[in-house]
Amino acid sequence: MTLTRTLPMDPYLVANADAVLAGARQGDAAALEKLFRAFESPVYTLARRICRTAEDAEDVLQETFFEVCRSIGRYRGEGSLWGWVRSIAASKALMRLRRNRYRDTDELDDATAPSRREDTALRMDLEAALERLSETSRAVVWLHDVEGYTHEEIAAMMGRTVSFSKSQLARAHVRLRRWLGEEVDA
Amino acid sequence: MSHLSMEALLALREPGVEPGDVAAREHMESCAACRGELERLHQRAARLRALPALRPSRDLWPAVRLRQRIESRRWQQRWTGVAGFLAAASVALALFWGDVARPEAADASAEIAAARERSQVLESALEEYNPELRVIDGRTARVSQALEDRIAELDQQLEAAQLRQVQRVEEEQQEARMLQLWRERVGLLNALVDVHVTRASNVGL
Repeated sequence: MTLTRTLPMDPYLVANADAVLAGARQGDAAALEKLFRAFESPVYTLARRICRTAEDAEDVLQETFFEVCRSIGRYRGEGSLWGWVRSIAASKALMRLRRNRYRDTDELDDATAPSRREDTALRMDLEAALERLSETSRAVVWLHDVEGYTHEEIAAMMGRTVSFSKSQLARAHVRLRRWLGEEVDA
Repeated sequence: MSHLSMEALLALREPGVEPGDVAAREHMESCAACRGELERLHQRAARLRALPALRPSRDLWPAVRLRQRIESRRWQQRWTGVAGFLAAASVALALFWGDVARPEAADASAEIAAARERSQVLESALEEYNPELRVIDGRTARVSQALEDRIAELDQQLEAAQLRQVQRVEEEQQEARMLQLWRERVGLLNALVDVHVTRASNVGL
């Protein structure tokens, strides 16, 4: 079984991956907690980057691990365990995003900071710029550029088209470029 | 001179070749501005990947565990409801069988012996499982308590029937009565095993 190809892991978990997984499948609380501790931070990071608030991200973390505890028996070791946990987390985060869609408008972004709109000299911190993107754009940027999902996978998870995913990513990068002061006059 | 759009630059980062990619790559060869833009795009993505990992402000494992326990308890309660129904059905079936299938005197003794043997097997299974040492929820405890009480009543009745048989009081009737009691006892023990052992294997206890 592969735990992850990219995340630094607790050495105990790496050495005892099969035993921990077997315990988790039996519902052993200690084994389930080990999995939670191993993936708590990456799941929360993904959720926090996609969701607007820390409270939403905490809810996604809880829902993700509740689902992991309930469905660990269905994980058959195909692909990395992190890939499996991550797909649950991404799905939960996007579900929350859909629930909060009424808040997710570009107009809101611009309305909250109208004075920044044309300020090409502004240098924003990358995290602040990411935070300022609409929830949908931010989710696409994070899932594509950081988590490595393809446009096809993102489109499937979001229930949208591949073109939608591509155009959201392009719009997001245009905005990030502007907000980060990276535009170069041709 | 027109430069590549963000869509075209992003498409160059994707695996495979899309229509238009060849022209875009040719443009890149001769346009330093677009090469610079693509490089900045790569760097921005790399900086995104390098953002620090985040941690929740509080430990959320207890909340996850609590929710899991509540869900598990609900599931057990639902199961116990079904088990209670099955137990009641087993008892009803045993009583019904006892009522409609009056034993023939000739094979009543053999049937009583078989029921006794079956009782012993079921009791051994329960003993092996050792329910006294298990943690069970309230509804399971109530169902098993009711079954155990009824078994204790049956045992008193069986004792009385046996005594009368020994005293040769209405000998034939006592044998029929004993067979009915033993059948009911087997039904109740079956239900008790269902409640404890089957439930335990279903919830992985």
